[in-house]
Amino acid sequence: MHIPDGFLDGKTAGTTAVLSVAGVALALRRVRLDLPPRKIPLLGLAAAFLFAAQMVNFPVAGGTSGHLVGGVLVAALLGPSAAVVVVTAVLTVQCFLFADGGVLALGANLFNMAILNSFGGYAVFRLVARCLPGERGRLTAMAFAGWCAAVLAAIACAGELAWAGTVAWAVGFPAMATVHMLIGIGEGIISALVLLAVSRTRPDLLAENSPATPPPRAGEWLGYGLLVVLGIAIFIAPFACPWPDGLEAVAARLGFEHHAAPVLSAAPVAGYRLPGIHWAVGATALAGAIGTLTAFALALLLGRLLARKPSPDA
Amino acid sequence: MNLQFHQLPAGHASSVIHRLPAGVKLGATLGLVGGTVLMPLADQWWFAGTAALLLIIAGLSRISPGFLLTRILALSPLVLGVALVNACQATGRSHWLGVAERSLLCLLTVTLAANTTPFSGILRVLQKVRVPGLLITTIALMHRYLFVLADEAGRMRRARASRTFTRTRRFQWQTLSSVVGQLFIRASERAERVYEAMCARGWQ
Amino acid sequence: MNAIEIHGLRHRYHDGTEALRGLSFQIAPGECVALLGPNGSGKSTLLLHLNGILPEVPPGDGSVVIGGAAVSPRNLAAIRRQVGLVFQDPDDQLFCPTVAEDIAFGPEQLGLGRAEVAARVQRSLAQVGLAGFGHRSTHHLSHGEKRRVCLAGVLACEPAVLVLDEPTSDLDPRGRREFKAVLRSLPATKLIATHDLELAVELCPRAIILDQGRIVADGPTEVLLADEPLMLAHGLERPHILHHHHPHHHHP
Repeated sequence: MHIPDGFLDGKTAGTTAVLSVAGVALALRRVRLDLPPRKIPLLGLAAAFLFAAQMVNFPVAGGTSGHLVGGVLVAALLGPSAAVVVVTAVLTVQCFLFADGGVLALGANLFNMAILNSFGGYAVFRLVARCLPGERGRLTAMAFAGWCAAVLAAIACAGELAWAGTVAWAVGFPAMATVHMLIGIGEGIISALVLLAVSRTRPDLLAENSPATPPPRAGEWLGYGLLVVLGIAIFIAPFACPWPDGLEAVAARLGFEHHAAPVLSAAPVAGYRLPGIHWAVGATALAGAIGTLTAFALALLLGRLLARKPSPDA
Repeated sequence: MNLQFHQLPAGHASSVIHRLPAGVKLGATLGLVGGTVLMPLADQWWFAGTAALLLIIAGLSRISPGFLLTRILALSPLVLGVALVNACQATGRSHWLGVAERSLLCLLTVTLAANTTPFSGILRVLQKVRVPGLLITTIALMHRYLFVLADEAGRMRRARASRTFTRTRRFQWQTLSSVVGQLFIRASERAERVYEAMCARGWQ
Repeated sequence: MNAIEIHGLRHRYHDGTEALRGLSFQIAPGECVALLGPNGSGKSTLLLHLNGILPEVPPGDGSVVIGGAAVSPRNLAAIRRQVGLVFQDPDDQLFCPTVAEDIAFGPEQLGLGRAEVAARVQRSLAQVGLAGFGHRSTHHLSHGEKRRVCLAGVLACEPAVLVLDEPTSDLDPRGRREFKAVLRSLPATKLIATHDLELAVELCPRAIILDQGRIVADGPTEVLLADEPLMLAHGLERPHILHHHHPHHHHP
């Protein structure tokens, strides 16, 4: 979700700008050092590809795939630092040419979508792919990583909006998280399907198979990891804690359960309060866990559906 | 955000605004956006003044008002949505007005700048402010090959549609994802050829 | 001293198939030679050897000598100044946003000053008949215009040898005529890989026929192309222009 101008105040815009400049600088440095010159035009072409792919209308309940980022997919194909550079290029052009995402909010959008989405998702991808072998494992990993990336970026976005005082956490978080849990399903499925198509036709293009894209070094993991942790510390943690009071207060004042916003009523676990549980944080955690496990289960199912069955007489 | 390629700003008409150097326009954009975002809401003179300035610029630029309006409206649902949510909060109304005001002014500023500045001008400005060359090359190549890839995607989709006799959703997803997969493969192969073409003309 | 000298050139693709199986030929300065052959005969692969893009991992097998200097990793810059390669797909070659920027790319890489670069851009545009096109966006050109801009971009580097890969494919008759006229006016040594047999007859006194990575014929174009059995044996055919009583014969 691209945050427009006017939604973030000075301190939020400034902090996210610092974090994202650090992340992009790290990515550029790594790409300059590790990527062979043959692959440099590929960054530009991959960015064009992402842009073009976002224009393809997948039939999603009448919506479009324009909400998808695709950072994790590019990370699996070119490596995480290259993915950061690619998504940065896409977001920068979207910001300056299309006013899609504010100019001052570019820092936040880069942090959410270029760094959190691409790198965070990539970390999940590698982790899951290591635990589950073969083509099926890779597809499951991609689907789940795509979902996680979308949700993570959305949560950070809600945190930034809350820190800026534009949208209270109690309202923003459930809305963003729920919507992106649904959008994330799309991102996961599409990422997995595209990865499948590429790996069947040109498996040499996958980062793990290409000698030109070495696996990330410890320095990379450390650097991006630090940024992710900082982001969580600044934008998410402070809100998750005072939330029980916040939610009770807001709910009491507004009759929150009966909020007419269509987004919330679409959530299967309305308002993140499971009936019979009064402790809001516990309820949130449980709902979040259920959502995540469901997503993982769906990803496993997808992997099983798509992967080639090993031939019985191999 | 789903925008069609023919909406990619061309920046080639010839009004006073178009002829201003790109650096001036981008600097002004930054200034206006920065001010609009950071000015406290109490200082309404700023917002009124900015709005007036923008309307004058819009008029001078001879961009059709209908075009500007559609661009801004395309981006507004989010603004309206958040505004709605905000309006339900106790502090709501004035806050909502501020957010909407700032957003719309900034949208208008950037839209005007984007539609009166040719892309190469933007790239040159980026170069001057020392944006790393790798990023600039990536952006430049991306911009150049957007259309080419979009055309390819369109052709592939039409070719598949010509052989599609079922319209089940699952089939559509399969088709579209294989089109997207093919698009990446073609983009990779084209990237190799672009590299060779760049080397052939002396690129280091 | 020959413009191009090839001895025993071999090349294998990644999957092991042999693309070139020991090619040897010479081209004198100022010659215009057509490189003919069916698809998959290795024409494009051969052309990529002429400016050092192939072999990917030098040294390759066989020698390529341009203007007396052997192609090696150390003198690639000098070789690429001497040999201008025009690629098959103009979109691969037009990687800059505007025409002027794209044509300026080569001269800028050569380290020339701004005034000289601008002068070369104007000269090249005039040479290909596209004066005034500098500010146009590279995407919104017609196919014929794109091909001519590609040629201009290469001419701006003032190479001694011009190598073209399928320059007239996908061109409409007018585009083809215009391109042919431009080529005819250029004094550089020319090697043109093409399926356009009429073009070969009209522009190139000499032809080399490649099939499955080997040279199967090298001689005067009209003689080779009129030899119907030879043509058919190598996936080609005798062009109409060489049929007797063709109205355009002798009026290229």
